[in-house]
Amino acid sequence: MTAAFALPPYAPPPGAEALRAEVRAFLVANPPPADPVRRANCWAVADRDFSARLADAGFVGMIWPRRYGGHERGPMERYIVLEELLAAGAPVGAHWIADRQTGPLLLRYGTEAQRQKYLPGMAAGRLFACIGLSEPGAGSDLASVRSRAEKVPGGWRINGQKLWTSGAHNAHAMLALLRSEAGSERGAGLSQFLIDLDTPGVSVRPVIDLVGNHDFNEVFFDDVMVGDDALVGGQGNGWAQVTAELALERSGPERYLSSHALLALLIDVVGDDRRFRNVIGRLTAEMWTLRQMSMATAAKLAGGEDPVVEAAIVKDLGNDFEQRLPLAVQAVLDADLDGSTDLTRLVAYLLQVSPSFSLRGGTREILRGIIARGLGLR
Amino acid sequence: MSDMRPQLLATAEMLFAAAPDWLVLADAGFPLLLVPEADGGFGGDWGDAFAVLRAAGASALAQPLGEAMIAAHLLARAGMAQPRGRTAIAPHAVGSVEGDHFCGSLGGVAWGGGANAVVAMIDGAVFRLPGSDAVRSGVNPAGEPRDTLTYDGAIAVPIGDADLLALGAFVRVSQAAGALDAALALAAAHVSSRVQFGKPLGKLQAVQQSLAVLASEAAAVNMAGAAAAAALDVADAGFELAAAKLRTNIAIERGVGIAHQVHGAIGFTQDYPLHPLTRRLMGWRSEFGGDALWADRLGALAVAHGGAGLWVEITRRGDR
Repeated sequence: MTAAFALPPYAPPPGAEALRAEVRAFLVANPPPADPVRRANCWAVADRDFSARLADAGFVGMIWPRRYGGHERGPMERYIVLEELLAAGAPVGAHWIADRQTGPLLLRYGTEAQRQKYLPGMAAGRLFACIGLSEPGAGSDLASVRSRAEKVPGGWRINGQKLWTSGAHNAHAMLALLRSEAGSERGAGLSQFLIDLDTPGVSVRPVIDLVGNHDFNEVFFDDVMVGDDALVGGQGNGWAQVTAELALERSGPERYLSSHALLALLIDVVGDDRRFRNVIGRLTAEMWTLRQMSMATAAKLAGGEDPVVEAAIVKDLGNDFEQRLPLAVQAVLDADLDGSTDLTRLVAYLLQVSPSFSLRGGTREILRGIIARGLGLR
Repeated sequence: MSDMRPQLLATAEMLFAAAPDWLVLADAGFPLLLVPEADGGFGGDWGDAFAVLRAAGASALAQPLGEAMIAAHLLARAGMAQPRGRTAIAPHAVGSVEGDHFCGSLGGVAWGGGANAVVAMIDGAVFRLPGSDAVRSGVNPAGEPRDTLTYDGAIAVPIGDADLLALGAFVRVSQAAGALDAALALAAAHVSSRVQFGKPLGKLQAVQQSLAVLASEAAAVNMAGAAAAAALDVADAGFELAAAKLRTNIAIERGVGIAHQVHGAIGFTQDYPLHPLTRRLMGWRSEFGGDALWADRLGALAVAHGGAGLWVEITRRGDR
């Protein structure tokens, strides 16, 4: 009989317990923020010093080759480190994109020179990247990208604008999807470029979100000149590369743990108060199941397969859980959200930021379209 | 045993599709799946049981196969011979064992009326009882027998500690994993062939988005069941079974309605094969513990570890 999700349960890699103990010891020495609001959604919280110390301990670029500063650990070992950091609320935002996405993309498509230039700094937790996909006219419909790269002698001239670029103000480089063939349409004629953000003609401006945080940016390219060596992968191959990259980012533990700080705080505050037991039980059941699904999907990825549908399911269910968690706590909490306690402050914060969880990295509607395609409906 | 699973599963799927009677299932050895080979059983593991019971759920098999598997497992574990005929399980008892005699009643016993023996949980301990002639017949929403058996001084033989409610919940989780996938397959096939507005229903985004939700819920139950089986194969699985049954109940709540909605009126007819799946799912949500019971138990387990300790406990159990 067929099944939409027939992955075997995760089997822990050898040394899993010892590795967990190592990460927990690191977190004792380098504690996450005391304020629970800073521990929520922590992969959007940037702390350059934390990233550098984490890398010094060998927990960044874990699966990359040693010659690029990596540690040649297994992908499931990396998964364990990530979930421990996220569950503790560690501020991993500064290096997150380079470690998860940009570095692996360079290993897959980059030239030796590009790898030598960027990977050691990324693995050292001191060189950060951002992702330049969305534009004013290209959000979920990414193939509408209009920012362009024109071929000129010795390099490329870049013009255009990226929008909703998380962490651009902390990043050293952007991996941008640009139209490299004038007059091309949709997914054709797109290429990826790795652009140093200190190049003349690049300007980064903040877009402040609804709670006053600076995560988003708009990034302008005004006759920015880059060398031929800025092109990553094949010219015109950008769409295929980006699609593969998106599948890689959808099933990680960050897709269900963004609100975990609230579940942990709730348990500490209400203890065995019977009024809260039911909601804690329900949330725990969902969290446990999502962890199993996320790990099983990660194991399939680690085996070299491409679990596109499974990853979409993990992200959709995970985002739904992260968003319902503060709602479920609010429903049983007999208190106004007046900021008078850590618990009410955290509920209020997550209620406000959680709408973004099902937008970033592929909207709910896009993910469900991918799942429907897996069912043969598209 | 896992290396024999594909063959075992192929046999099960072929057999279940023919709506076999009990003797056919018994002759094929399925009730003894979890009994060691040395005791005349199949020597299967919990992952095998999950796979077979999932197939039973997908076929809407109207037989108490999982219940018999659990009973046979507990009897074999206690070093007892398998009774002739069929053994039922009873997670709910009213009454008590005095000396070695049970007076009281056992509720919610699947096909309890025709059972030769019953494995029952009474005051937290597990006993083997004979069948009963004093039967009050009941049915679940799918029309399957759910009987109440009354005893007046029957011999009750202790067979050790076990959480019969949790093991029964594992059976329902496994069946629900198959039934939800089968309902999803029916729904996907229906919307691909049914033409309205000049195109198959499945081309409508609203329908696609609904079925994606059903697929995700079915996925969650399949993962929860497989992971609970893996935990049972390693050690105590109280936490995992509680989480898996509760997640299954949530998925039934969210998923069954979607399967019917995209079918329209045809899915509501006696002749169409959706209702044998959905009516069972509706009943299974209550059986061996509803949402409140498992949420309360799991919530108590969670808070016992504290906020940070819950994560430590979940990862510790997963790393075993």
